[in-house]
Amino acid sequence: MVEHGDIRVVHCGGSKLNFRDPVITHDSRFLLCASGEAVKVFSTSTEECIHELRGHTGLVTGVLLRPSNHLQVYSSSLDGTVRLWDFTDGILIKTCVIGYPIYSFYASAKHENVIFIVTSMPSEKRAERFQLVAVHLPQSGDQLVEARELSAVLSGVNPNPAAIAFGRGGEFIASVNDLQLEVYFFKKQKSYRFFLKEDNKKGGWNTFTCVACHPKDDCIATGHEDGKIRLWRNFNHKKEYTYSTLHWHHSAVSSLCFTPEGTNLLSGGVESVLIQWRYKQESERDFLPRLGAAITHITVSPDGSLFCTSHSDNKITIIQSCVKVSAVIQGLVKGDSIRTDLMMDPRSKALVLNGKPGHLQFYSLQRDKLLYNLDIVQQEYIHESGLQQFEVVKAAFDASGLWLATVEERHQKAAELELNLKLWAFDEQTQSFVLNTTISAPHDAQITAMSFRQTADSQTTLLVSTSKDGHFKAWQLAAPAHTEDEGPSWLCDFVGAYHGLVPECCSFSADGSLLAVAFQEVVTVWSPATWELLTTLSQPPGAVSDLCFGRLSCSKYLLGTTASNLLCCWNLLTCSLEWSTSMDVRRLLVDPLSENMAAFCYQSGSTDLFVFKPSEPRPLFSRKAVCSGKVTQAVFAPREEMLESCEESSQWLNRSQLYFLTQQMDLMTFTTKAEEDRLLASSKQLVIDDSVAMTPFYLLLGKHRQQQQEHRDSDSSLWAERTALPQTSASIKELLQTPAHVLPSTSYLCSMFVQSLLISVSDAREEKAHAEEEMESEKEEEDSEEEMESSRSKPELVAAATESDAPALTKAQARELRRVRKLDHSWLAGLLDS
Amino acid sequence: MAADGGSSSLQLPCVFSPKSRQFLALCAQDGRLRIWNTDSKTLHQEYVPSAHLSATCTCIAWGPCRTVKEGPQRKKRKSEAVQVEEKADLLAMGTAAGTVLIYSTAKGALHCTLDGAHSGGVNCVQWHPEESLLYSGSDDTNIVEWDLQTGKTRSKWKADRAAVTSLCVSPDGKLLLSAGHIIKMWDLDTKEVYRKFTGHSTAVTTLRFATTRPPDSNGLYFLSGAAHDRLLSVWQVREDGKDKNSVVSFTLTDEPQHIDLVTSNSKEEAVRLAVVCKDGQLHLFEHFLNGPCKKPLSPSCTVQMSDTKESPMPIPLLAAVLGADTRTVMLAYGSHLQPVMEKVEINTAERHVCLTRDVQTTLSLSMETTVSKVKTPIVNAKSKVLVPGLPGHQAPLKGTSQGSEKRKKDTDTKEMSIAERLGEIDLSTISEKGASKGTASLQTDNFAVLLVQGLESNDASILNKVFQTRKDMVIKKTVARLPLSAVLPLVEELTKRLQGHPFTASLMVRWLKAVLMHHTSYLASLPDLVTQLGVLYHVIESRVKMFHKLTKLHGKLYLLMTQMATSDSSKMVSDVDHTAKLVYEDESSDEDEASGDEGLPDEDSDHWEEDEAVEEAMTEDNQEESEDEDPDSRTESKANGEEDMEHENESEEE
Repeated sequence: MVEHGDIRVVHCGGSKLNFRDPVITHDSRFLLCASGEAVKVFSTSTEECIHELRGHTGLVTGVLLRPSNHLQVYSSSLDGTVRLWDFTDGILIKTCVIGYPIYSFYASAKHENVIFIVTSMPSEKRAERFQLVAVHLPQSGDQLVEARELSAVLSGVNPNPAAIAFGRGGEFIASVNDLQLEVYFFKKQKSYRFFLKEDNKKGGWNTFTCVACHPKDDCIATGHEDGKIRLWRNFNHKKEYTYSTLHWHHSAVSSLCFTPEGTNLLSGGVESVLIQWRYKQESERDFLPRLGAAITHITVSPDGSLFCTSHSDNKITIIQSCVKVSAVIQGLVKGDSIRTDLMMDPRSKALVLNGKPGHLQFYSLQRDKLLYNLDIVQQEYIHESGLQQFEVVKAAFDASGLWLATVEERHQKAAELELNLKLWAFDEQTQSFVLNTTISAPHDAQITAMSFRQTADSQTTLLVSTSKDGHFKAWQLAAPAHTEDEGPSWLCDFVGAYHGLVPECCSFSADGSLLAVAFQEVVTVWSPATWELLTTLSQPPGAVSDLCFGRLSCSKYLLGTTASNLLCCWNLLTCSLEWSTSMDVRRLLVDPLSENMAAFCYQSGSTDLFVFKPSEPRPLFSRKAVCSGKVTQAVFAPREEMLESCEESSQWLNRSQLYFLTQQMDLMTFTTKAEEDRLLASSKQLVIDDSVAMTPFYLLLGKHRQQQQEHRDSDSSLWAERTALPQTSASIKELLQTPAHVLPSTSYLCSMFVQSLLISVSDAREEKAHAEEEMESEKEEEDSEEEMESSRSKPELVAAATESDAPALTKAQARELRRVRKLDHSWLAGLLDS
Repeated sequence: MAADGGSSSLQLPCVFSPKSRQFLALCAQDGRLRIWNTDSKTLHQEYVPSAHLSATCTCIAWGPCRTVKEGPQRKKRKSEAVQVEEKADLLAMGTAAGTVLIYSTAKGALHCTLDGAHSGGVNCVQWHPEESLLYSGSDDTNIVEWDLQTGKTRSKWKADRAAVTSLCVSPDGKLLLSAGHIIKMWDLDTKEVYRKFTGHSTAVTTLRFATTRPPDSNGLYFLSGAAHDRLLSVWQVREDGKDKNSVVSFTLTDEPQHIDLVTSNSKEEAVRLAVVCKDGQLHLFEHFLNGPCKKPLSPSCTVQMSDTKESPMPIPLLAAVLGADTRTVMLAYGSHLQPVMEKVEINTAERHVCLTRDVQTTLSLSMETTVSKVKTPIVNAKSKVLVPGLPGHQAPLKGTSQGSEKRKKDTDTKEMSIAERLGEIDLSTISEKGASKGTASLQTDNFAVLLVQGLESNDASILNKVFQTRKDMVIKKTVARLPLSAVLPLVEELTKRLQGHPFTASLMVRWLKAVLMHHTSYLASLPDLVTQLGVLYHVIESRVKMFHKLTKLHGKLYLLMTQMATSDSSKMVSDVDHTAKLVYEDESSDEDEASGDEGLPDEDSDHWEEDEAVEEAMTEDNQEESEDEDPDSRTESKANGEEDMEHENESEEE
């Protein structure tokens, strides 16, 4: 087997967005969330991903804004590093190696340069135990530093990030685990523990699920398995602690969050309702229902204007002031619930699979973005665990994309199976799918496969469904029997069976003239025109699990895989076995645009891929260990533009692209080197400055400032001198970029600034009082500008607005300067302080 | 690249993003910029410039695509994220106040403002294809070259005596076309005039390069369109400089509003052109550019759009861009405030194509999706529901020749013998009935006559009247008096009514039974029996599917009820009875009514076996059953009738 170096397996479709709680930046413009091995920066207004912070080699387990600088963000990962990023530009600033996998991490403003991480306890053999460790981050300018100062704070903590919270700006830390709440006070270095009884009296569990601390008050809110929220007070005493209980949720509270001012408490759970409790008036609460799926995390922006909730269906909802959903960041819905095969919508060229319960999701492969969910079941989904509800289990498109067939199923314990087959027509006039026919209980048992006849002339559309009840049914679009005004609808055309065996799969030949249905180990070939059984093929032992007709020049072949690890190829002209080979094929599929076929084989824990032509003995392409686990869902997606690769090994990718879902539910695909080069070549960096008029107020002030700018030019030189920086533009840039906390005190800066101004208006000294007033206002303006600038990314623009070269000082001016320096400006400082 | 100079103040700028056409940027009458997503057909974002009423947006141009930045430390690992196709991000907007705004669609915010260079309104903006440069032409007759890295003017020159209405940068980035009084071609390196072209009498609104060949090869063509001009002119840049007149012209129905063009890279490649005119029509052209052509060219295909109302009104097209292959066109139509985007395949073989669209529904559907990302397909009353038992759910509807395999075999083997065997009996029954008909009592005779009349005239009111009879004797006699020719129509009518509400179905069962009792022999003699009765068979079969389970449930419930009743009877009898009844009704109320009294369940199960036997018999092999069925059902007819009613109701409930 030749390994082809230029074809790579790459991820697409993104990773989970709801793994950890997202973070909203201070200006509420960006949302950061951990996604696989990267941190994604989204815009809260446009839902677009702006940057992807890549660098971690393990799963990212937490994202935190740096308390001392709100333009930087920490991220922790299972690879044992904490990285510091500048998220506006997407630049890695620092990497701190800790050396233990980090499960979650915390920081607070009170503990500067210290972060708290949760790692597994060493030397522990049985069930894994976790501990909370404080890590002192070394202060050095290096890109890569190693943190050695570790000190354990708490042991036996829960690795779930919701189970630990800082209280009152970092005075204490609250941790919950199982039935125990532990509060650790940093000042006293003392911890208190509170236990709850298991309490099975009313069928409730008291197990803690999450914790949140009030930002100002001594109050801890804990969520419980039974849906109760407890508010703990007076917990700095062993005995006299109290708690009150809030109960609305009917099942476990999954997330709790206080608003920054502490006026409200937010909670969410499986019910997919966001509840806002008024702090101290808990009887008053607001609800935001129908958020779509179970809430997993809740976060609030630092200014309290935006809430955001993560949901179990890989979605982040951004909510404005608890009333309006303003944006939804939706990832590809993956998980165990994917029961349909992967399909391509011929019309929108989107990948289709079932996603949210009762929906089909349309995912644009070109843009790597979810387009929309199509509501198939159209029933209100009841958010309760353990409830069986209708799910889309099968779907199929016909060749033109005009028809969509869906099967929905509800299988309750000890009850009849409920099945619905729905046929949707795409209506050009309304640009939407319109329900044509609903067939309730099309079969008596589960439907195993469904296939449209893929004919070029869409005159006679035919759908075949096979079921575990031992029959296959052919459905045909026909005019209604008793000539009413209705349009054509779908009717059963034929019911077929073969010796009472259960049909497992079916396939139409490319021209639609043959139908192959596999009844366990027998493949029956039918003619759809007359419904005659033409021939049977079989290769016992082992039931046939996948069937494919060859295309184009190979259309005389029928390929099937059997449960006894055989891949068989029958020649339909001779009705005999052409060849067979022993391999454990889990998925066999055919490229609709070429003769090629792809077989995913499972071998010793990983999946191999073979691409071959049925007529040729040698595979076109083979790749060992494409991914670990089994591959059961895959699809060939036709390319919009054909690639022109001349290399033999990658020619099979010219017309179509192959996508597959791994066992870990990652969507993967194959790319060729040529394709990547093409993409890289066409991409160029467009650097454009971004000086933005932020507000109309700014525009208004702009004129005023321009006038002042000229006469400030001279004093700006002085300014530069005093801050002892050689080059004005660079230095100012530096000054404006430094975080506010390292700048000298405002009063100091102010006096400096005022002095600088004084020089320039020295001739107008008699109008001092007036001038100072102006200076005041200017100073404020300067400050506001500073803030604005620093919140933006590109520094070089700032310089343009402010400074130019300093004119040389004359001796007289210098003398003047010295004199002015001696003047007492303390009154101004007093003014500022007041 | 997909920018057009929507220059005249009346025209609203409307531009698709380059390459993948993911977005449509549109500045509507209200001065707001809206970006629409063409994939999901939803409003992507809306931006209100701070001075959107005074300084309205006059032109829009999409910047070159950007890619997601890659860190330098990124190595090529085995499974990393796929390279996403580059995304359109930046958008340049020229305003009537003379400023140029750069808007970022990724951030959904203004990126920067370029101002201070123009004294008049900006008429057109154009991006340089490679460098980060932007060109803007203005009413103040100047062209300004902006350096976007600094946000400052790089150079500014007076282009014309009149206002600059349109600009176009050549695909290689070396030449610039400007239109004012005359069309000028500038060398961008030296900022000197390279060529001049005169011809248009009105303001030129559109300039486009049609080929990508170098200017000194005689192969460089460009295209221009002007206000109030129903011709698009193509100009050739000739080596010898003798290029005073346009070489080719395309005829339109109105002044061009939006132009998309696929440039040709070689002589063998045709230029494809999609022009949306002010009257809302789209014209498609395809032409090989090689030298002058005297006659004006007419479009190869014209597309119009209309709505679905009684008297169709045209829907104006706003913009159209050509897809990678020749047939697909991305269209935007409707109003500027709420456009609809669609990718259509146009049959270019036809000269005129008219598409009908229901804009209202499309819009209401797409607006819902904007935030929730959930599309709800239309479910209206027209959609058909096929439940088990209805024709088409199970049975083949065609004749016997195309019937299902299994059944075909059955009928084939037995048909001949039965026909022979029963031929005479059949005749005798007929004669018998004919005789009895005359002597029948008045009432039943009336009913039979009524029924025949009803069946013949297909009068629902008569039939309803007849079918509402509950008296078994009347039914029996009526059916007995029925002429043979009316039997089949009666069966068909009964079948139809059986499919309806279970309540009426329960009435029909009595009739059906009577028919089977009297006319089995006739029915058996029919050659296409399977098709005639197949539907009936499936109806009954599907309705009794649940019966077995229901009888079980009934038995259990009955047991429970009686247990409770006996245990409670020692206390307050009346009270307990009441509660128990309530529970029971909840489960299956009809059954309660029907079987009401105690002591029935035993009877029930007995009858059921028989009843099922009846139905099986009826379809599996009708003939054999016909003899022994008759006596059976005669004796048990009353009980059976009750049973039928019951199970019908129950199965429906389930």
